[in-house]
Amino acid sequence: MKDRLEEFIRENRAAFDDKEPSEKVWSNINASLGLRRTGVWNSLVLWRAAAVIFMVLCGYLLIPKNTENPIAVDSARSEFDDVEAFYIRQISEKVEMIDEFQKSEGLNGFTHDFQQLEAMYMVLKEEIKTSPSQKVKDALVLNLLIRIDLLNQQLHKLEKEYKKDSQDEPKKQSV
Amino acid sequence: MDHGVLNMHDELIARGKAGDQEAHRRLYKLYSKAMYNVGLRITRSEEEAEDVLQEAFINAFRNIDSYRGDATFGAWLKRIVVNKAINAVSRKKHDPIPDDDRWDIAEDEPPADYGDGLTVDRVKRCMEELPDGYRTVLSLYLLEGYDHQEIGEIMGISESTSKSQLNRAKARLRELLMQKS
Repeated sequence: MKDRLEEFIRENRAAFDDKEPSEKVWSNINASLGLRRTGVWNSLVLWRAAAVIFMVLCGYLLIPKNTENPIAVDSARSEFDDVEAFYIRQISEKVEMIDEFQKSEGLNGFTHDFQQLEAMYMVLKEEIKTSPSQKVKDALVLNLLIRIDLLNQQLHKLEKEYKKDSQDEPKKQSV
Repeated sequence: MDHGVLNMHDELIARGKAGDQEAHRRLYKLYSKAMYNVGLRITRSEEEAEDVLQEAFINAFRNIDSYRGDATFGAWLKRIVVNKAINAVSRKKHDPIPDDDRWDIAEDEPPADYGDGLTVDRVKRCMEELPDGYRTVLSLYLLEGYDHQEIGEIMGISESTSKSQLNRAKARLRELLMQKS
């Protein structure tokens, strides 16, 4: 059986919300949120600015990475290529000279060392393709220098041996 | 129609989330009166009800991001108001919920005769005379539309305690109404 009191309250529900809060409540809320609001807004602006800067930076770092960085790599690369070309030219000149000297002779230990150095050089060249570091570059240059040094020694030796027979003037390049 | 109202509020709420002052003002205008009365019924004091209202709205606007739209915005807000009002009352350590069984009576008691004098104003005045616990359970159930499970959660009591509190509160209210008729 439905209680009359409950029924009455439900029927007149809206009439129970008759009181109004004073104006100061909203002004207090607004004042309190006002401080916060600017904070939220500022941080929103800040975040947006940060996001834009981040994206621009990413764009700058990503796109140049495909154009500018390769340029940097290329310049280091071409610098190395110049050095390499210079030494290789020397090496081949010396090898040619030695070849002329010892057409009749076996190449022995010298050739063996030289070939080993050459093989090592190939390995290092592969290495520099995958991980171009200063270390590998230094190793490559060192390899070239050692080979030139070896060749110089060999030339010097051959020069002495064949001095009397040959009038060819071996280059005494100091490296 | 309900959907339309919800959508209109959704837009306001979205703007409120972005910190729009005008949206906050309009949300306050829409809900402040109902929320104030919710608080007033529980705290019984206009001053406290205004404090509760103020705190609740500030809290709601600051945490508006946590409103996910599972309930209506009004229901979400009301829950904040109710919690704050109950806290305000318990902070003052008013009379705890009476333990006696004097009002533990059956629900289907024959309808009491209130004479012709059953008015909103009288019911309100008599409700104000109820102990805090009774008054809170009664208004949460009869006016705010919470069920016993929800009242149990809100007040930290069991569902059955909520039921028996409601029965006692109603019995006491009837008694008060008849005394004053």
